[in-house]
Amino acid sequence: MSAIVSVRGAVKEYALGAVKVQALRGVDLEVGEGEFLSIAGPSGSGKTTLLNLIGCVDTATSGVVQVAGKDTASLSERQLTELRLNTIGFIFQSFNLVSVLSVLQNVELPLLLQRRFSGKERHDRVLDLLGRVGLADHAKHRPSELSGGQRQRVAIARALVTRPQIVLADEPTANLDSVTGENILALMRELNRTERTTFIFSTHDAKVMAHASAVVRIADGRVLGREAPAAAQAEGH
Amino acid sequence: MKWVLLSAAGALALGLFAWLWRVFGGTSRVDLLVAFRNLVQHRRRSAFLGGAIAAVTAFLVLLSGLSAGVRETMLRTATTLMTGHINVAGFYKVTEGMSAPVVADYEKVLAVVHEAVPEMRYAVARGRGYAKVVSDSGSMQLGINGIDVRAEPAFAEVVQLASGNLGDLAKPNTLLLFESQAKKLDVKVGDMLTLSAPTTRGINNTLDVRLIGIAHDLGLLSTWNCYMPAESLRELYRLNPGSTGAIQLLLRDDALPNTPAIMARLRKALEARGYRLLDPDPEPFFVKFDKVNREDWTGQKLDVTSWEDELSFFSWTLKALDGLSATLLAILLAIVVIGIMNTMWIAIRERTREIGTLRAIGMQREQVVRQFLLEALMLGLVATVAGVVLGAVAAAGLNAARIPVPIGAQIFLLSNHLFFAVHAGTLASAVAAITLVTGLAALYPSLRAAKLRPVSAMQHFG
Repeated sequence: MSAIVSVRGAVKEYALGAVKVQALRGVDLEVGEGEFLSIAGPSGSGKTTLLNLIGCVDTATSGVVQVAGKDTASLSERQLTELRLNTIGFIFQSFNLVSVLSVLQNVELPLLLQRRFSGKERHDRVLDLLGRVGLADHAKHRPSELSGGQRQRVAIARALVTRPQIVLADEPTANLDSVTGENILALMRELNRTERTTFIFSTHDAKVMAHASAVVRIADGRVLGREAPAAAQAEGH
Repeated sequence: MKWVLLSAAGALALGLFAWLWRVFGGTSRVDLLVAFRNLVQHRRRSAFLGGAIAAVTAFLVLLSGLSAGVRETMLRTATTLMTGHINVAGFYKVTEGMSAPVVADYEKVLAVVHEAVPEMRYAVARGRGYAKVVSDSGSMQLGINGIDVRAEPAFAEVVQLASGNLGDLAKPNTLLLFESQAKKLDVKVGDMLTLSAPTTRGINNTLDVRLIGIAHDLGLLSTWNCYMPAESLRELYRLNPGSTGAIQLLLRDDALPNTPAIMARLRKALEARGYRLLDPDPEPFFVKFDKVNREDWTGQKLDVTSWEDELSFFSWTLKALDGLSATLLAILLAIVVIGIMNTMWIAIRERTREIGTLRAIGMQREQVVRQFLLEALMLGLVATVAGVVLGAVAAAGLNAARIPVPIGAQIFLLSNHLFFAVHAGTLASAVAAITLVTGLAALYPSLRAAKLRPVSAMQHFG
């Protein structure tokens, strides 16, 4: 399995006034194509920072981050934006939908940014995805008219609509009840299997980790190890 | 140097066009929808700011309408009553030290004028004089205009009679006065007056005339002008029938901006026909007599002037009005700019996380700029269109109400009521200018929004 994400010796420092805080202290990570990888660790361990580096929304202070074969440090702001648009899908903890757009328009947005598809192609693709996440009947609703689980399904559809190689999800079930969270993870797993999309998601919930094909443990900005989900779940309990 | 500046301006224009194309080139219906729905979502804020922009636009329309109205009224009144657009006046000196306002054999001059100025609508010959007007109870010195009222239909449109009949001015030995003059002389229509004036030969002549009409005052011009038939004026001054005081040319509206070039062409044509001309001097004819009297020549010299030269003493009125308009416009636009910038900062603060999300999912910086600019431009366009409609309706209402102008202001406005000249071009300019200002005001906040780092923006709370 070839690596779609490769992180080597990644360090991320933040300045908090005069104090420098190290969020990542030399992280190494390889993620293969088609993996359903969980990054697990307690709050403040560096999970989100690591996802931000992989998602090209932040840059490492030192070290190398390669996404889809590209060294992110060598890319311009414009190229990084294009990489995010064409290669990466994002699912956020708080859904982050555009409140003034309908479900259909929210999902269509990345396709409009790509400017590759005709109106009909966009429409067909969006409706297909909405059908797969079970929201075909809600296409015209606004996000405020949906439940948390439904909003996260919209976010998943938006993340997948460009058929990205990687989907990054930062604690995707943290704001959902346990049943809805389970459903969302099951949906992500199914899409991972059918679309062969690489999923990398962060969590500190052992139940969530159980869905992963592999779990990378992280604490105090360092990767502690990579393990099978069963072992991780046992450790979590 | 000129080419360097032109090249720099060209490069700047090209750069601006390229940037605008990059920002707005890919505008989709969703961009418009997001802008529109954000405005609707914050409807109270949008309504408040839009209302302010509309009010400013309406005020601007009224202000520019008033300025244009005063300018047009002055131009129409002054050119019809006193100057034409271009004046060919004559100074005739029998002796070196005494000149008279006479164009001898004016038909020949008129022929040159017709040939040299195809942009002319028509020309009129006006006798000029200065006489003492004596009634039973008083007297006053007035400028006398000799007019063929039948040949000047525009005269009847400008001069509104309070009493009498303007057509009677075609009869010999008649006189038309303005209200303030009639009041001072204590005369009414039908009364007889005596005019006393020095002729070109230095002797005083008198003529009895009948008052056939009293016109409403038209500002400063009506304080020193009165009208009598051209033939009667010739009789008063003992002039021969082929003479007049000045030939006044009325140009087509589209030719007015070219007045200086037309004047230069006319001067050349007159000189080519052997006429002697005074050097160009942007002053009214009546202040030139002293200067002309000091010059050592006799015979005739023609003087070609524009209406602005003849009314140079009025120009401060227009300049003051323009200055006032510009100051008010600057203040109002500053309010619009501050309002828009403030609103944009609030909108950006509220939507910082959304900006971060959009940047994260692949929106380029210029597309973020587009989002906010579209919002401002959309608000600006709707508000300014509403504003010009409001302004135009208000101007029409005020024109219909014929709001009287105070006596003091009438002197300079040359009208007894306010007139707002609102033209489609002015309205379109107001929409374009204020919408553009709205967009420019939103530019800096939009650029700042686009510069937000996605990771910082997404972590924003507030």
